[in-house]
Amino acid sequence: MLTKLVSMDRRIVFILVALAVIVPMLLHVSLPVSTSEPTQKLYDFVEALPAGSTIMLAFDYGPSSFPELSPMAKALLKQCFDKDIGVIAITLVVDGTTLASTLLEEVAEEKDAVNGEDFVFLGFRPGATQVILGMGTEIKSVFETDYYGKKLDEIPMMKNITNYDQIDILVDLASSNTTEAWIIYANVQYNLKIAAGVTGVMVSQMFPYLQTGQLKGLMSGILGAAEYEDLVGVPGKGKQYINVNSFVHLLIVLLVVIGNIAYFIQREREE
Amino acid sequence: MKRLVPLVLCFIFGIVMIITQFSPHPYSKRVYEEVVSGALIISPFALVLATITLIQTHATRIRRRADHWPYSYIVFAGLITMVIIGVPLGPKDPVFEWLYNNVQVPMDATMFSLLAFFIASAAYRAFRARTTEATLLLVTALIVMLGNVPVGDLIWNTIMSWTPWADQASAAREWVLDNPNLSARRGIILGVSLGVISQSVRIILGIERSYLGGGD
Repeated sequence: MLTKLVSMDRRIVFILVALAVIVPMLLHVSLPVSTSEPTQKLYDFVEALPAGSTIMLAFDYGPSSFPELSPMAKALLKQCFDKDIGVIAITLVVDGTTLASTLLEEVAEEKDAVNGEDFVFLGFRPGATQVILGMGTEIKSVFETDYYGKKLDEIPMMKNITNYDQIDILVDLASSNTTEAWIIYANVQYNLKIAAGVTGVMVSQMFPYLQTGQLKGLMSGILGAAEYEDLVGVPGKGKQYINVNSFVHLLIVLLVVIGNIAYFIQREREE
Repeated sequence: MKRLVPLVLCFIFGIVMIITQFSPHPYSKRVYEEVVSGALIISPFALVLATITLIQTHATRIRRRADHWPYSYIVFAGLITMVIIGVPLGPKDPVFEWLYNNVQVPMDATMFSLLAFFIASAAYRAFRARTTEATLLLVTALIVMLGNVPVGDLIWNTIMSWTPWADQASAAREWVLDNPNLSARRGIILGVSLGVISQSVRIILGIERSYLGGGD
């Protein structure tokens, strides 16, 4: 019995994980979420911006990270549109273009935001470092038109925006090391304020930048998305997923504890 | 000559870009802007190079009947389909968007979702308190995992209700990330940065030439 428990067939683990995902979804479990300091900081920063400010939102992720990062994007966009803050969206990841445009259009429709007046989607250009550096000099030198082919000169929202000097903060929603590139090239070189929303596996990488103040705020994985939804008051997929995530984490913790107990009993018997 | 020209170009551009970072002169600023613009033009060529390499790799696999070679046909089918639709019609074309939303997104998301199953299985097997170091890793992992989800607060509060640390699951996670994690990360960042600086100097001075190919 103990041997079986110590070397449990991984198919049993797979079935347990599947159940830990499906059952809470069917039961619509809802757990209270407490807000972490880095998420609160980002919310407070955006909340303190006056109407007419501009933020840049980088959709630096592909479909694999879509469930974790798109709830953050939705909550942040809703907060911006509610506060009349302009959003310039871009992506450094080629996979992110369709995801970003679809999400922007969806939230814009819900909040009656107008393309070109309340938000602009610039799309993708290859060469992340060069794109970041180039926009620091002049956004138009990198993106002559927006994603839909309209010249930047003809877009009302872009009339008074030349480079990072007119952007209040950049929020990078990232599933790779783009946040570090933004910090190194846009923050250090051009003093652009940076905040981020990253996948759970990247959170530990971001803490040195939070401590130095190079990151003004941070949404950490699906927990950060749920926290931000709570702060903005628009419960969405983030809240739904974090509840499911809770049970999977709980299952893994239980499995690790049981595995260790069985391991120690077995080792004692063998000795 | 074939090797000298890239070495000289690398030296000139490297030195010039370093100078632009320290000189506020308008001419220096102009040079910096021109070089960044030039780099923007060069970037798309990397995509062309990547596509050519991809085609060469999979064509070779098919020719040599390497392991799983029939899958290379699927790579070509996907590449050709997206190029035929995407290049002339653009990324806003409904067919292109449909393919992206209904083929690439679900496949990519499914592949990533499978990780949850493998991580659970691997955690069960790997997290054993065999040594002091392994025990430290195990305890840290459990604290961060519990602090990462709302149910962690409930469990922590129940177990720790009699201690002064009740209601501190998230705080414990933050402490782990803010102290041991941050110290280790900073050490890595500093180490990597120093390595990058020394490697850059070696490349600019022509001491490190492996980027030219040929192995010397």
